[in-house]
Amino acid sequence: MDLSLTDDQIAILDAIDTLTRPYAGATLHEAGFALASDALDRDLAEGGFLDIGFDPDLGAISAALVVERLARLPQTVEAAASALIRPLLGDATPRPLCLVEEGKTHRPVRFLAPGATVLLVGPDRVRSFVAGPEHVRAEPEALYAYPMGSLIAQPDDLTDHAVSADDVRTRWRAALAAEAAGLLAAALDSTATYVTDRQQFGRPLATFQALRHRLAEAQVRTNGLYWLAMKAAATLDAGDAALAALHAQESARSCVYDFHQFLGAMGMTLEHPLHLWTYRLKALIGDLGGRGGQALVAANALWG
Amino acid sequence: MNFEWTQDEEAFRQRLREFLAATLPQDWERFSQHGPASPALTDYARTFCGRLADEGLLTPHWTREIGGQGLDPWHQTILAEEMWIAGEPRGGQYMNVNWVGPTLIRYGSDAQKARYLPAITGGRALWCQGFSEPGSGSDLASLRTRATRDGDVYRVSGQKIWTSYAGLADTCFLVCRTSDDRKQGISILLVPMDTPGITVRQIPSLIGEGDIHEVFFDDVVVPVEARLGEEGQAWEIIGYSLTNERLGIPRYALARAALDRAVALLQTQGEFAGEAVRIEAAHAAALCEAARMASYAIVDRRCRGEVIGAESSSARFATVMAERRVCEFIVEYLPQALADAHPYLKMHHQRGIVAGIAAGAAEIQLNIIASDVLKLPREPR
Repeated sequence: MDLSLTDDQIAILDAIDTLTRPYAGATLHEAGFALASDALDRDLAEGGFLDIGFDPDLGAISAALVVERLARLPQTVEAAASALIRPLLGDATPRPLCLVEEGKTHRPVRFLAPGATVLLVGPDRVRSFVAGPEHVRAEPEALYAYPMGSLIAQPDDLTDHAVSADDVRTRWRAALAAEAAGLLAAALDSTATYVTDRQQFGRPLATFQALRHRLAEAQVRTNGLYWLAMKAAATLDAGDAALAALHAQESARSCVYDFHQFLGAMGMTLEHPLHLWTYRLKALIGDLGGRGGQALVAANALWG
Repeated sequence: MNFEWTQDEEAFRQRLREFLAATLPQDWERFSQHGPASPALTDYARTFCGRLADEGLLTPHWTREIGGQGLDPWHQTILAEEMWIAGEPRGGQYMNVNWVGPTLIRYGSDAQKARYLPAITGGRALWCQGFSEPGSGSDLASLRTRATRDGDVYRVSGQKIWTSYAGLADTCFLVCRTSDDRKQGISILLVPMDTPGITVRQIPSLIGEGDIHEVFFDDVVVPVEARLGEEGQAWEIIGYSLTNERLGIPRYALARAALDRAVALLQTQGEFAGEAVRIEAAHAAALCEAARMASYAIVDRRCRGEVIGAESSSARFATVMAERRVCEFIVEYLPQALADAHPYLKMHHQRGIVAGIAAGAAEIQLNIIASDVLKLPREPR
């Protein structure tokens, strides 16, 4: 076992940090509810960072590292599905890649807009189509910090993919876990900064044990999730992926509540960027059946 | 990143399993319920650890100069996992290889190393840890057991409590006060337990026979040469010891093994089909694996020679979360386990429930994480 980053992975993450530095340092006062960035998306695509998973030498683990790092940014781009699932479909698949469960097409979909690839994942089949304006209704009022759309129609002619639906779901879970790990890390960092600066009763909020212990537990969860997500991406094992996604959704549920609680009214405003990470986490909580769904898949994988 | 075990690591684990299968007595699972501090297991551990030592498996991660084989921390982890999953047949001697020995190696005088290390590497030593006092648990720096210098000796008076292994230990790793300075006034003495003036009383406990004691020191004379490190250096030494101890026991591994055993029993009884029980088991498994990976991340850094600090508290708390969930799962779905129907699960329960108390309370770990990992300003004292 060797959990250190390879030289290639270090170089990739360094390059991402360099590329995203202007974005990470952007002024966020009243950033709006969802902060999508076409410029960042273009920069990442041109740099090939979202295609890393196509390279067998770098593999899904390197793609997951990229997803986790990008999720820490206040801006969002569709990275998780592209980096981890698109390699199963081929590089001709247009981005963004939008993941939809068959039978749950009424749910809002992250990044869904005309021109996006919609991947319909059924129990035993995987199909796709490129969305046109007639298939999509934008949801600008959605309370999620991703650009969201609803699927209002599908073409009759869908492309069948000769891939295993279970393999797609395993990668979906690994991608979800990697993205959630980055979102949780950024949200925790933002909350820790706020409670350190904010003074009440003559001292920083961060000096009150009632908050400190819950933030420390969030750190434990965030750290554990990072490693479960990376292991899931490395092994692409159904059980590893389900445990990682379960830990992601369970941790998102408990930590998001605490982070907003500690920011008080400030966390209810769009003047503070916390929602950019927490309301993305909320969008991930219900994927693939939520915690119960992941737990049942994990139980099947671990114990039959 | 590579999450696969190497061939060498796999072979080492397999060798340990074969050794355990060939060495442990037939009735081991029921026998091990006596608890690691019981007279029966302490006695058996001397035989078992002697055989481990003969095989070069007691301290393989120590350097060759002091009786080890220079194997890396991954081997240490594999060794600890296999022993702990098996119910810890090393008894209290696991402490020797986890932290007593490494602490002596780092801070001990040549005479102390010569006196104590051969007994540890030979599988003959049993130590107890004289830390907690009636008035000093989590607030260890408030301890009052006093060692007063009198020429070439210290005279020690005071009381320790909740001391594991004290009834049968041959040496006490005693933390005591040599001056009034809160942290800089604490020193460590290595005290033979047969020294006149030491009285040990066992306290009945939930976690097994012979595990918890109170120890009285009544004008106990200890030579100055028995001091570990300098006078007032205890706080630094304890920090080093506890960093090792917090991760020395791979509790996540036993928790996961107990969970797997519980699920297998439920399947046999036809009680593992419902969604509720399956979901609850998966939640427990997720916490076990999160704790495992948090611990592995630290082992990996140790392999690269990095100094580990507060991160060990994060891995430790992850383990506490896992132990709690597994214990609760078994109590809820296999209540007969605590009524002696399943010795292995009862053994796990008795060891699992102390995860958040031993080696620093879980709340202390959270304080450390808040201050030293998250870098939050400290609470006013």
